[in-house]
Amino acid sequence: MAKSEDCIHILQGLLVFGNVVIGMCGIALTAECIYFVSDPHGLYPLLEATENDGIYAAAWIGIFVGFALFALSILGIIGIIKSDRTLLLVYIILMLITFAFEMASCITAATHRDFLTPNLFLKQMLERYQKAEPANNNDKWMTEGVTKTWDKLMLQNHCCGVLGPSDWQEYTSAFRSTHNDADFPWPRKCCAMDAQGLPVNLDGCKLGVPGYYNSNGCYDAISGPVNTHAWGVAWFGFAILCWTFCVLLGTMFYWSGIEY
Amino acid sequence: MLPLLPLLPLLLLLLPAAHGAVERVGYTPSLTKSPVLEGLTTGSTFVLDQPRCVFDKYSNADIWLVVALESTAANFSNSVAPGTAESAFQNFPDSVPAYMTLNATLANYPCPKPAGDITVLRVGSETSCSGDAARPTCNGPLPGPGPYLVKFLALEGSEPVAETGWSQPIMLRTAKSSNSISTTDGGHSAGMIALTTILSILFAILLAGLVAMFVFWGRRAKGSITFTPSPGHSALTGCPCPAWEGC
Repeated sequence: MAKSEDCIHILQGLLVFGNVVIGMCGIALTAECIYFVSDPHGLYPLLEATENDGIYAAAWIGIFVGFALFALSILGIIGIIKSDRTLLLVYIILMLITFAFEMASCITAATHRDFLTPNLFLKQMLERYQKAEPANNNDKWMTEGVTKTWDKLMLQNHCCGVLGPSDWQEYTSAFRSTHNDADFPWPRKCCAMDAQGLPVNLDGCKLGVPGYYNSNGCYDAISGPVNTHAWGVAWFGFAILCWTFCVLLGTMFYWSGIEY
Repeated sequence: MLPLLPLLPLLLLLLPAAHGAVERVGYTPSLTKSPVLEGLTTGSTFVLDQPRCVFDKYSNADIWLVVALESTAANFSNSVAPGTAESAFQNFPDSVPAYMTLNATLANYPCPKPAGDITVLRVGSETSCSGDAARPTCNGPLPGPGPYLVKFLALEGSEPVAETGWSQPIMLRTAKSSNSISTTDGGHSAGMIALTTILSILFAILLAGLVAMFVFWGRRAKGSITFTPSPGHSALTGCPCPAWEGC
């Protein structure tokens, strides 16, 4: 009897420890997802305009799942210590629902990250940057978002276009239809700027003299934060789910052994 | 009459010298090679090296740039005067084979070129006069992708005195439509497939476990064996021996 009681206590201890970890991870997931939803890099307008903002939906789900995991872990700890079948049954079922939601969040984040290729941003930039006549209010909103975001990106990261200034030469664009090629081979924001926000040397910028224009593409500046966001949600969620899986199996085993 | 005859051959010799002795200097205009310029050719402009140390003998001449299409260059005659309708930018390429622009003198092209200076000519940079017929020497944006040939022509007064050879054909950039960009060729990364697969398997196992729980619950409800829990301990019995097997 002593041995089986020790065994019971060990299993209880393990499950309580497992639930404590789940609770802490839930809080961490909530915090991480709030950070991503707050969009510190200001890239949300680009994703909204491509209608591919799934990684933000995944982060929103992550916020609520994190809270749920925390609350349920407390429920689980109480249920294990009291060995209450009802509480543990409620815990298991609610945890399964939370598991399903978190699974959806991880898969959404991972799948939508794969959609965010350079070509997607290139096409959107060409079609929306400084588009002159938006079709409706929604279009106008998206166009303004895209234009402001690109201007900020190009200024702060000293870059031009998605792959380089040649993007503006190789493809037709909304920008090209309102700005002639001779005066604006690429937007003014691609020029090296002085402290007042004016090009250092406009002719040098138009010619493309090294040092007077931004020769790098902005894709790295976009994909870095987006990757961090997507992988942070997807893989941290995956890790939490693997741990939760083990704890849930243990809890199911424990539950089925409780005398009632 | 007789004394005039020897003069006639001399006059005949002089006439070609007065009208056609255009020196061909050994320089070919070319696109700028150094420094490497991003905007070397765009949709409507291109960048040439300045003809430094080429027309040194002609300090009084006006040096003009002649721009023609590869197909019309042969129709250009050096006797066309700049600033007229026959060499107007606005009439190119519809009614004239070439236009003349970027007027300069030797003072604009000092020799030798100071090291470190960028000495280029941007053909097509003047957008304000491209439709203004009163400005026939406008350096306006080129009307099509080309291919273009250019040469420099030195005129003293209205007489051509020197020219360079025609350049190699210069093609400008043509822009593809942005609709041609394909955005659906991303495919799925290995990480995403692994994540989906593993999570699906885990969820399936959990659901199976839940079903097993209910099945055993039902079975135990039918033929349950009760155990008296020891006072002060929880009612959990059996580990590693499950309660329903009756240890």
